[in-house]
Amino acid sequence: MSKKVQTDMYHTDSAVSIRGVTKTFTQWQRSNTAGNVLRNLLKPEKRTITALNDVSFDIKRGEFLAYAGPNGAGKSTTMKLLSGMLLPNDGEIAVLSMSPQKQRRALMSRLGILFGNRTELWWDHPVIQSFEWKKIVWDIPDDLYRKNLAMVTELLDIGDLLKTFARELSLGQRMRADLAMMLLHSPELILLDEPTLGLDVMAKRQMIGFLKQLNAQEGTTIVVTSHDMDDLEEMARRILLISNGKVAFDGSFAALRDELGCTKRAIVNFSDRTRREIAYDDTNKLLRELSELDGIVDVGFTQTSLEEGLANLFARWR
Amino acid sequence: MADRITLRRILKLLAISAKMDLVWLLRDTKYTLAGICADMISNIATVSGVFLIAARFGGIGGMSTDEVLFMMAYSTLVTGIFIMFDGNNIHVSRMIGRGQLEHMFIQPLSLKVQFFTSGFMPFSGGINVVIGTILMIIAVGQLGLNITPWWVLSLIAYLLTTMTIIVARAYLVSSAAFYAPVTCEEISTTVIDGNWFLSTFPLSGMPRFVQIPLLTVLPEGLMAWFPTLALLGRPPLNLTALYPMFFALLISLLASIIFRRGLNHYVKKGSNRYVPYGFRR
Repeated sequence: MSKKVQTDMYHTDSAVSIRGVTKTFTQWQRSNTAGNVLRNLLKPEKRTITALNDVSFDIKRGEFLAYAGPNGAGKSTTMKLLSGMLLPNDGEIAVLSMSPQKQRRALMSRLGILFGNRTELWWDHPVIQSFEWKKIVWDIPDDLYRKNLAMVTELLDIGDLLKTFARELSLGQRMRADLAMMLLHSPELILLDEPTLGLDVMAKRQMIGFLKQLNAQEGTTIVVTSHDMDDLEEMARRILLISNGKVAFDGSFAALRDELGCTKRAIVNFSDRTRREIAYDDTNKLLRELSELDGIVDVGFTQTSLEEGLANLFARWR
Repeated sequence: MADRITLRRILKLLAISAKMDLVWLLRDTKYTLAGICADMISNIATVSGVFLIAARFGGIGGMSTDEVLFMMAYSTLVTGIFIMFDGNNIHVSRMIGRGQLEHMFIQPLSLKVQFFTSGFMPFSGGINVVIGTILMIIAVGQLGLNITPWWVLSLIAYLLTTMTIIVARAYLVSSAAFYAPVTCEEISTTVIDGNWFLSTFPLSGMPRFVQIPLLTVLPEGLMAWFPTLALLGRPPLNLTALYPMFFALLISLLASIIFRRGLNHYVKKGSNRYVPYGFRR
């Protein structure tokens, strides 16, 4: 029953390599008029949605990439393509030098996936039972399982949760348990789709801290999607923005701020109760300018947030 | 780590499913007893109705009371074995319709291995096997059958054949959920429940235009009636005793082709819905 598994089908130094990938879906269209309903019985009206349109990019091994974009931009579709859940219409995908479609089984033993709105835990069992199930299904060697279990138990602070039934966990606890379970087989690449969705501040801080540590210490490649730009900026070093199925931006957060025109401003309050806003790039020049002004009572500093800049950008893209 | 599928690995996968089934059943004394009692009552009720009619009228359509009891025993055994091996996965239209098949894609196992091993529930499903075996021993004793190793092998072959037909039919109709997930989410339940309703009814004495469709288009007659008569040495309608095996082969091939096509459609088009409930108990 054993079967030789082909690995390294597409050898590449990148953790992820996407070349000219296009993915389309069809959507049924129907209005609520009787005529349209009857017409649709004979000839259904469909609309083609291009989720990804000739998209190409690479993610280096050990990178922490933020994958962002407005709703419906194609983020989850990309995650599903990378994990072999969907086939592209066109183009080539290599994940850890393997094809997610042709080498799904081999890839899954080296890949970790977590969707924020789903759980891989067994609902009616304690968390530790799901972990044991994972050990068998992923065929994790005993020593590696013990090492990883100890690591995730400590770093994600789930010691108290191991004997608790999954159905009785809070959302934050469930996410931590899910994340811990995902890491038990030491994945080289992890794909996280909205992992901070619905988490409170504490749970979010804990998750972000853990992911940063995992990336820095273990060198695990992480791709994360989120609508919270502050979270993404804190975690990732590179951001890839996708819009209308195209890569709209690929670079650092600093470059994105420049691109969005996220200006820094000094707000100066004067003794005559007037206020002036001074936009600046160079702090030395600003200080010189301020020193020449009389009657300053107070100076505050602000910057257009990334979120604000992106909201404007997404609105323009629509 | 996980990419080699060996017999040892299959056994380990079955063992973890069995362990999880046992700890699920034993999670609470109240639930455990209620679950076992409910299964027993439900099964005895299903078969006793037909048996009591047979007892009252001295048989049904040319089958004696003891032969009807044998048929009920066979049906209960099939139900038990079927729940033991495929309890979690038989309602595959639910998994497809609810977009939950994606949970299977991220496991380093083929879908076939997952379907075969993750549904193994020997403890919560086992009670029907126990009842079926007891009924079978009683019926065999009453009928005075000469039990030879060949007869026992034939019984096992028929049980496996019947299970194959049930599973193949469930997967065949469940494939519709790839194309219409919302509408067909519960199609396997409808088909399987329909299966149980008709499968315990002896078709002997019914006109041929009723018997033939129930051995072909709607193969309820192959669930217990045909195998019973074949095991008693008189397969109906002058058909060969191997007819259920041929039928099982044909429907399995058909189900395999249709299910693969549906799966290809699924990975090309994706699922337009995801429902979190009912995924893994």
